[in-house]
Amino acid sequence: MNPTGSVSRPRWLTVVGVLGVVAVGFTVWLGLWITPPDAVQGNLARLVYVHPAIATVALYWAGGVAVAASLFYLWPRTRTFFWDRLAVSAVEVGAVFAALTCVTGSIWGRPAWGVWWAWDARLTSTALLLLLELGYLALRRVPTDPAVRARRSAVAALLIAVDVPIVHFSVDWWQTLHQGGTVLDPGFHLHIHGSMAWTFLLGFIAFSLIFVWLLGVRYRVEVLSDQVGDQEMDVSLAERWSEGTELVGAAASSPVPAAPPGGAPTMVDQ
Amino acid sequence: MSYVDAGYTVALATLFVYGLGLGLRRRRWERALRANEAPADPAGSGERS
Repeated sequence: MNPTGSVSRPRWLTVVGVLGVVAVGFTVWLGLWITPPDAVQGNLARLVYVHPAIATVALYWAGGVAVAASLFYLWPRTRTFFWDRLAVSAVEVGAVFAALTCVTGSIWGRPAWGVWWAWDARLTSTALLLLLELGYLALRRVPTDPAVRARRSAVAALLIAVDVPIVHFSVDWWQTLHQGGTVLDPGFHLHIHGSMAWTFLLGFIAFSLIFVWLLGVRYRVEVLSDQVGDQEMDVSLAERWSEGTELVGAAASSPVPAAPPGGAPTMVDQ
Repeated sequence: MSYVDAGYTVALATLFVYGLGLGLRRRRWERALRANEAPADPAGSGERS
């Protein structure tokens, strides 16, 4: 068994990546050229084909994977570094999607609300999620034992996860500038139809596929960096071992060591 | 450029750049792994318990 995990390039991941790129291409084509403008928002509504999909990935997919992986790591029966690597991969990719959620939302908000930013509950809690994810990534850079780092990171991920339901329910708990359910209302009545509905759905699928692909590639980077770290540790230990053997050998072969030219003591003398 | 164009451009460009960066990071680690494999093996340090 490979203690650092598999580093092979799985074919399914390439397929997912290609499908994701194709699906994003179709989403852009449908969203910008095929779907009609909205009756109220006009062309501005075209941003709805990317912003909610990106936010869904940031909040639910990345958040869900990070929480589940962290729980599996903390649970003694399932504790392996696979879960730790998966968690950090999900958090990093999630941070990219969270940043995009804020930026695309801001780009929509400027013409729709008249401001780039408002201290609205949904916006603020989403920005907080991004900051917490960046904090998680910074925490992992603190040098320490890998097991300590993994346990610390798993606890941090669970603390970050508290923000996820706050983001989700913020539009229900508080009176916010951000609208509530855009597609489905609380009674699960659909408010989008025809080509707009299909494009909206395709956007969700496309960005979800891109998320899975990025997650897989990021996981592989983590495995490779761990393997290189292990190798460098092995090389370092072998060099130290070699140096120690040479010193012991030199001491054994010359019981009365010759003084160096300067007369300074050596390690063998001591 | 309209707000819609800006939103799509930012989203797609960011994901593209991040994906490209991940690919480059992966290649760099793969090269480092291959470079380390040669000196590590003669020392017999490939097996760890």
